[in-house]
Amino acid sequence: MAEMYNNMGPQPGMPRPPGNPDPGPFGNPFTGAGSGFIRGGLGAYGERILGSSSEYVQSNISRYFSDPQYYFQVNDQYVRNKLKVVLFPFLHRGHWTRISEPVGGRLSYKPPIYDINAPDLYIPFMAFGTYVVLAGLSLGLNGKFTPEALNWLFVKGLVGWFLQVMLLKVTLLSLGSGEAPLLDIVAYGGYAYAGLCLASFAKIIWGYSYYALMPWTCLCTGIFLVKTMKRVLFAEVRSYDSSKHHYLLLFLALVQFPLLIWLGNISVNWLF
Amino acid sequence: MTKDFAVPPVVFPSGGSSVGANVQQRRFPATPFQPPRPSSSAIPFMSFDIGSAAASSATPAGPFGGTIASSSSFGGGGSSSFEDEEPLLDELGIHPDQIWKKTRSILNPFRINQSVHKDSDLSGPIFLYLALCLFQLLAGKIQFGVILGWIVVSSIFLYVVFNMLAGRNGNLNLHTCTSLVGYSLLPVVVLSAVSLFVPQGAGPIRFVLAAVFVLWSTRACATLVVSLADGGEEHRGLITYACFLIYTLFSLLVIF
Repeated sequence: MAEMYNNMGPQPGMPRPPGNPDPGPFGNPFTGAGSGFIRGGLGAYGERILGSSSEYVQSNISRYFSDPQYYFQVNDQYVRNKLKVVLFPFLHRGHWTRISEPVGGRLSYKPPIYDINAPDLYIPFMAFGTYVVLAGLSLGLNGKFTPEALNWLFVKGLVGWFLQVMLLKVTLLSLGSGEAPLLDIVAYGGYAYAGLCLASFAKIIWGYSYYALMPWTCLCTGIFLVKTMKRVLFAEVRSYDSSKHHYLLLFLALVQFPLLIWLGNISVNWLF
Repeated sequence: MTKDFAVPPVVFPSGGSSVGANVQQRRFPATPFQPPRPSSSAIPFMSFDIGSAAASSATPAGPFGGTIASSSSFGGGGSSSFEDEEPLLDELGIHPDQIWKKTRSILNPFRINQSVHKDSDLSGPIFLYLALCLFQLLAGKIQFGVILGWIVVSSIFLYVVFNMLAGRNGNLNLHTCTSLVGYSLLPVVVLSAVSLFVPQGAGPIRFVLAAVFVLWSTRACATLVVSLADGGEEHRGLITYACFLIYTLFSLLVIF
């Protein structure tokens, strides 16, 4: 009787190990450092929900929402070089493909510290924050600053990011496969804000430079997205339909123009 | 059936009129009902004295002390008195000398004493928040909710960014993060006080002032965050930029 109790004692309190085959260098979302977030965020129930969910659900979640920790493995040097790539993509002499490494039998990409072409989430978040701050600054210089206006601009920025992500996702889906991880696409969509920040900053300093820098930003963001998406398509899509690919990529670059002009036009109205 | 317990007879001292005529009228007793008070009891119990009734030997000094102490230590010892209670600030967890020490540590922009910030508290940040709201109020802007909301959002933002950057060994918790963000608001409070005396309008002097105080705030917050939580040393510049964004946002409220 006592032995039975001894055997059954510790098990109900302990979360069952998820049994993932290849955790990768920094763990998957449920065992890595990011898991502390997800569990902590869910409060007291996080441990129970995530610890006892079936492997099917877990594998599905990790398919759609890859480990966020991967995207924050950055350092100063990476940030500087990546900003140079995003803002002046035609100066990038190297290749644009991501370096992949076999981890436990499955192919995964190297983290951003080792690979300049890997997407990260630090730059998009910071660029978005800088965009909101610069938008507030330019609103204030025109005398129209209120905190509600800043909240409105924040929402507008989020909508713009969402539209960008939708655009990329639709491009991928219409070419037959949408299997790139969602956070990758969120990261690619957020890089546009870096160029937007540059244009907004120039507008604050001297009003007319905006009309030169805005088309430049749209062009550079377009080129960056085209080159990145081309590599993503190579990696994900089985059949290579050349003309359809190229038209869609061109469409992607052209849509940047109205989208970024809409985002860059900082005013309190919704449209213009 | 005989009663097993003795019910003390209740005697109402009559006011002179006959008892029979006052059956329907309630008479309040002149002296309160006194329960039987044992001279030596195994269980010490408080007598419920209200007013200027004679205090027994076991009751504490002061007429109200008995009721307060008895309500707080019901059936317990008769030794806790009003003077023995914890001071209000201690019970609330507010330690003014600690708050003052922490605030003073941020006042020096060049050398920040990190050891006083080891145990985080939220009462200092609340005090600084109220001070900032007060100075904004004096400038004519009613922004109580806005500032509180922005403090919450920016501390969550810094918490997420720091823990994601630090990786596996990042151990900043949200309470400490909010405490540090709140204490580092001190230069912004000073900015809003100073900008009351600087002429209105977006002149260059306001921007220069704001830039100085924002840099002070950023330096304070980044130093504290990096030194108090593990895993932040190699990402110092990245975290400094996040703090810079937060305090620029607050300074926008002050300048415009």
